[in-house]
Amino acid sequence: MGTLTALKDPKQAGPFDGYDPKPFFCELLGTAPQPSKALIGIWQRLQTLDVATLARRASDAETELMNLGITFTVYSEKDAIDRILPFDVIPRVMTAAEWRTVETGVIQRVEALNLFLWDVYHERHILNDGTVPAALVLKNVNYRPEMIGLDPPCGTYIHINGTDLVRDGRGTFHVLEDNGRSPSGVSYVVENRHMMQRAFPDLMQGLRIKPVSDYGERLLSKLLEVAPAGISNPTVVLLSPGVYNSAYFEHIFLAREMGVPLVEGRDLMVDEDDRVHMRTVAGLKPVHVVYRRINDDFLDPDAFNPQSTLGVAGLLRAARRGHVTLANAIGTGVADDKAVYAYVPRIIRYYLGEEPILPNVETHICGEAEGLAYTLDNLDKLVVKPVGESGGYGIVVGPKSTRAELDSCRAQLLANPANFISQPMVDLSVCPTLTASGVLPRHVDLRPYSVTGRDTWVLPGGLTRVALKEGSIIVNSSQGGGTKDTWVLEDDVEAVGVGAETQS
Amino acid sequence: MSLLARNAEQLFWLARYIERAGSLARIIETHSSYGRASADDLSWGWLVTLYSAEERFAKDYAETSFKNVIRFYVADVANPGSVQFSVRAARENARALRAIIPTEMWRQLNGFHNRLAALTAEDFDLVTLSRTCGIIKDGCYAQLGVADSTLYRDEGERFFRLGLMIERADQTSRLLDVKFAQLATGASHGGQTADTTFWSVILRSAAAYQAFRRLEPQGADPSRVAHFLLDNASQPRSVAYCVLEIQRVLHELRAGYQLRKASKALEHIEVLIEGLQSAAKDPDLVVRLHAVNDWLQQCLITLTADLSTAFFALEPAPANARSQSQSQTDGGSQKQSLS
Repeated sequence: MGTLTALKDPKQAGPFDGYDPKPFFCELLGTAPQPSKALIGIWQRLQTLDVATLARRASDAETELMNLGITFTVYSEKDAIDRILPFDVIPRVMTAAEWRTVETGVIQRVEALNLFLWDVYHERHILNDGTVPAALVLKNVNYRPEMIGLDPPCGTYIHINGTDLVRDGRGTFHVLEDNGRSPSGVSYVVENRHMMQRAFPDLMQGLRIKPVSDYGERLLSKLLEVAPAGISNPTVVLLSPGVYNSAYFEHIFLAREMGVPLVEGRDLMVDEDDRVHMRTVAGLKPVHVVYRRINDDFLDPDAFNPQSTLGVAGLLRAARRGHVTLANAIGTGVADDKAVYAYVPRIIRYYLGEEPILPNVETHICGEAEGLAYTLDNLDKLVVKPVGESGGYGIVVGPKSTRAELDSCRAQLLANPANFISQPMVDLSVCPTLTASGVLPRHVDLRPYSVTGRDTWVLPGGLTRVALKEGSIIVNSSQGGGTKDTWVLEDDVEAVGVGAETQS
Repeated sequence: MSLLARNAEQLFWLARYIERAGSLARIIETHSSYGRASADDLSWGWLVTLYSAEERFAKDYAETSFKNVIRFYVADVANPGSVQFSVRAARENARALRAIIPTEMWRQLNGFHNRLAALTAEDFDLVTLSRTCGIIKDGCYAQLGVADSTLYRDEGERFFRLGLMIERADQTSRLLDVKFAQLATGASHGGQTADTTFWSVILRSAAAYQAFRRLEPQGADPSRVAHFLLDNASQPRSVAYCVLEIQRVLHELRAGYQLRKASKALEHIEVLIEGLQSAAKDPDLVVRLHAVNDWLQQCLITLTADLSTAFFALEPAPANARSQSQSQTDGGSQKQSLS
């Protein structure tokens, strides 16, 4: 990149001197040869810090995360061990223009998916006219016949959504995956920002960055919009599986930021009139909206897994009677399924008559003969993903696999083709990241979060996950991934003072 | 804003465990610093008696040596009566309360817990014990202080206060009981008449030494010490202070928050206060002290049961409720076995 050389000041050594993102798209340098002036300003500010300073602040930040208990907990037989999600102190920065694309694209996608869900649980137009194969939906394990004919308020099924995005070598955003069940991670977006504000006030000074700390209020207002009709002062609760859930910190965060009770299954009950109540010191109190962080399977032992002790018996009946709104609705898994994903661009055109603002990554459905043949022929060039899994498990990255791994993948594909999709390798963009060997490029993705009631609001930025291992493109925390603060600049005009102070 | 029954119980136990750990640390520190013959192995058996834990102790340890008793009460996480167990249990309760308690409370307790978890055997020997107990005491005081300056004054804070006061009354009553039993048998001072050191250790164990010196210039005798810790309502660790606080808080719950279910506990606390008043007037209190303490501890168990039935019980109990409240259940059953 031409700009890289231009940015270097031969008189002053900085932590970014050895940084070279080639051949990937760099989030901080932007599109050469004309990166945004605001980005250049941030780059120059970072250059004035040395690696030792960055490392010390990073270490302080991690200690603080531990003390604050912004952790996930790993339980062993005797111990509860708190771990922090690795946090990289060099922020990922988006310009206002980049953000507009993401924001409108996410809103469009969520709207289409909600219309799709309404359709497949009501008239099934899109299946009947063959736009989406009926079997793919109706035989999907995540399709819940219990939801047929139920009318959720505002027609919203996916209230809380996370859209996984990646950027290719030209900087174009692609949707990698939709998360319309219980996407987690939004607490890190807000806490990472608080952490950066404490650790790098000098870096942020004078910059106009879109705030993220109002997420809780926005979420609550959207959940109130979808409360059952006729309730003057609805009660919202957050339903968690409890302290043993690894995402328990996030449940605390959400309840705290919304100012609503954090309940567990045993705190709730459904009465004989199918109304939901919580057990308080003053007796039973009615509940109207449940933001549940328990999967469909465990949500209601009367309706689904009868072994579940985490859920609330009768919750589905209460929802069907319209006495309670569940967020997200039951049965949204059919919309964020990896096989249905391939049809989302068609789903957008079908319901909205618009072109997708955020394109999919090209996807081959191995359950279809053509897709399977293509996948088998190009196995060494493709990424093969099992459709039912999450968390980055079971993914085979063709170009990085051994002969034996490819053979094993081929055997699995032939044994159960419908269980897989394949996609070409996407050259994930990179961000300068602090490593043991200095500041180096590491691959990142982006998960913007949206909340939908009557309409959709998107939290500016989202969770940037970074693959900390050199060359790795798997960003999941279970696979050695960390996170970064994600800044969305308010406008593209150079902020006062940024850049100027380091140019003299 | 409604208070979940489960959260009320967790607030109650959070305070109890913190108070329990703090009391234990103070008692151990006082005895190792001020008690005579602190290195004398025989002098530590009474601590096992204090919490009626003889059976459990004998299961894992051969003799009541200094090293064993200290390990049992400070470091042993399998002992539900140890400092480590209590602080862990306090933190597990706090973890489940994080959405409603101030961040400051969690942050302090979390840091305290992590410091404690990092202690090693070296921190529990005769030379380092006092410093270690200091860390524990300070951590517990700090938690109560943070709670006092940040916890919102609603029903939840009342349950926190109830747990604190019930535990404190229980600790003071136990201390009196065991030390006066030592006095009667001459167990702790080789058959000699109790001296200044003996009284100073009891008073310091209840953080009451300075106040006692100021108020009782004639010095300590059994009757004065017993009354000071039992019925002096200005002494914040006396049984009288605690039960009057409990009464006040229960009254606030019933009248201020319309929790009529507090009535039964209020009736019981009124009986307790009357009993304490007659004990205060008893010229032979020292002779009857064991019976009084027995009765007091029984009353506190009943009171905890009243609160549990009125406010905590998640009836009809779902199958999974039991295991989740294990720490509390353990603490409760430990109490039950004492009576």
